[in-house]
Amino acid sequence: MLDFLLRVFGKDSGSSRNVAKERLRLVLVHDRADVSPQLLDDLKEDLIKVISNYMEIDEKALEVNLDTSDKTVALVANIPVLRMKRTGKRAEKIG
Amino acid sequence: MKKDKGSKGKKLFVKKADDRLSEDSPAKSKGTPDEGVPSMAEKKKPEKSAAPDKPDKLPEKPDHLPEKPARKNTVESDPWQQAFADDNTILIKRTVRSGQCIQFDGNVVVMGDVNPGSEIIAAGNVVVMGALRGVVHAGATGREDATVSAFKLQPTQLRIANHITRAPDGDYVAPEHPEIARIKDGVVVIETYQMGQDRQSKIG
Amino acid sequence: MGEVIVITSGKGGVGKTTTTANIGTGLAALGHKVVLVDTDIGLRNLDVVLGLENRIVYDIVDVTHGNCRMKQALIKDKRFEGLHLLPAAQTKDKTAVTPDQMRELCDNLKKEFDYVIIDCPAGIEQGFKNAIAGAERAVVVTTPEVSAVRDADRIIGLLEAAELREPKLIINRLRPLMVKRGDMMSIDDIIDILAVDLLGVVPEDELIVVTTNKGEPAVLDGNCRAGQAYRNMARRIAGEDVPLMDLEANDGFVSKLKKLIGFK
Ligand SMILES: Nc1ncnc2c1ncn2[C@@H]1O[C@H](COP(=O)(O)OP(=O)(O)OP(=O)(O)O)[C@@H](O)[C@H]1O
Ligand SMILES: [Mg+2]
Repeated sequence: MLDFLLRVFGKDSGSSRNVAKERLRLVLVHDRADVSPQLLDDLKEDLIKVISNYMEIDEKALEVNLDTSDKTVALVANIPVLRMKRTGKRAEKIG
Repeated sequence: MKKDKGSKGKKLFVKKADDRLSEDSPAKSKGTPDEGVPSMAEKKKPEKSAAPDKPDKLPEKPDHLPEKPARKNTVESDPWQQAFADDNTILIKRTVRSGQCIQFDGNVVVMGDVNPGSEIIAAGNVVVMGALRGVVHAGATGREDATVSAFKLQPTQLRIANHITRAPDGDYVAPEHPEIARIKDGVVVIETYQMGQDRQSKIG
Repeated sequence: MGEVIVITSGKGGVGKTTTTANIGTGLAALGHKVVLVDTDIGLRNLDVVLGLENRIVYDIVDVTHGNCRMKQALIKDKRFEGLHLLPAAQTKDKTAVTPDQMRELCDNLKKEFDYVIIDCPAGIEQGFKNAIAGAERAVVVTTPEVSAVRDADRIIGLLEAAELREPKLIINRLRPLMVKRGDMMSIDDIIDILAVDLLGVVPEDELIVVTTNKGEPAVLDGNCRAGQAYRNMARRIAGEDVPLMDLEANDGFVSKLKKLIGFK
């Protein structure tokens, strides 16, 4: 019974063991993709700049992440679009 | 001063003390060849040709020091007092630490300790005014009359000319008084250091 | 023809040298011909852990520079006929040896020995590159700490890039009671994150310090739990399948890892 309780406690996400594990996971994602959190932030800003030329987006809800599954890494961006712009940058150039 | 007190000094270090350093063991020869010190043990052996030729002096000699006149290899009278009197002597006023290597074509005097993992290589005598715990090589170019003395003589390994000795395995008592190591009858002996002991023994 | 195994870690002080000395001695105790190569030039330690520091005349730099023959530099162990040490130089630095020289050295050594075990320095610079140059297999040592595991991950990536595939993991200094309390990552946690095979787990053990002080590897101490772990690992490297030891009496958390572990 004590053992059981201990194990339940062990699984408590607040324990330093699990904190360690989670932090490691996060850190390793960036390590393995060779991308620092700073770089990801910069990318986010650039993305916003470019996309804003074409559409209005919800900048606060924008999510950019590196997804690792086994041995591949994918850049996953979740960008809520508020409104499409009628004339994009390209159109301006042509016109 | 009792003249024979010194000569029956404890043989803490015995030449070729164990199998590791004996004739048939892999590391039979000595010297630190990468420093360019000739390997005396090799010279004595028939297979000497197998060993690469080494320059007969220490390289990397500090160039701010004057060239030393050619050395005579004969001991005149009192080895401690006279034999190296005309040699250059370098004074090191600090602790020699692990990874540091002092090489000198003459005598070396250290005012400080010589820690484990460091090396002192001298063509002449080595005197340490402190604890000597590293590797020391006196008479590195072949002088059998070279000596090593220290307030606390506890070297990892002690070499004089072509003789190698090392501390015995297991515990041994740390010396409480200054000691001197030299070759006597082909064996490295360690004795309590006494002022003028050589002169005394000669007179007596 | 022998096998060249590098013991590496990335992070310093996690137990590479202790591991090299103990696994090497363990293999020699099993009757194999073993040579331990210290590539931590400038910070040599393996000689002290083995209690052979006062026998060094020549070192790895002398050998690679042709100042002496290989045989002259190899130091015979006090205890085992078959165990030898090629010490690192203490008064040089890592650049004194090149990866090409290391490859040649390892090729020569494996002709004469069953196992050539290389103690790698910490870091990922030249010393690391030298140490892995001649290796055919790699063992990565980590402790159950975020920093050490992260560095182990980096090392595993570099090993794979260097064509040293399938490195094996040693988790050192595990404290089962802390794991149980939820204050330390478990074997499972670490294996899960690093996705490599386990070679063994060494518990935190005061006797490691005691045996290192004496220059007598813990693997020779029949009552030492860490020593038992090293004996098991030596047997695994020698080709046996050995179950993971009970790190603690009546534990529950390693039970699912009680499957057999091998090295091949
Ligand atoms: N299982 C253990 N239990 C207790 N202490 C240990 C254990 N393993 C290693 N140590 C201690 O940890 C210290 C570092 O070990 P060691 O020198 O083997 O690490 P290393 O990885 O070779 O270090 P470096 O990166 O500096 O070469 C030593 O003092 C050693 O005694
Ligand atoms: Mg080490």
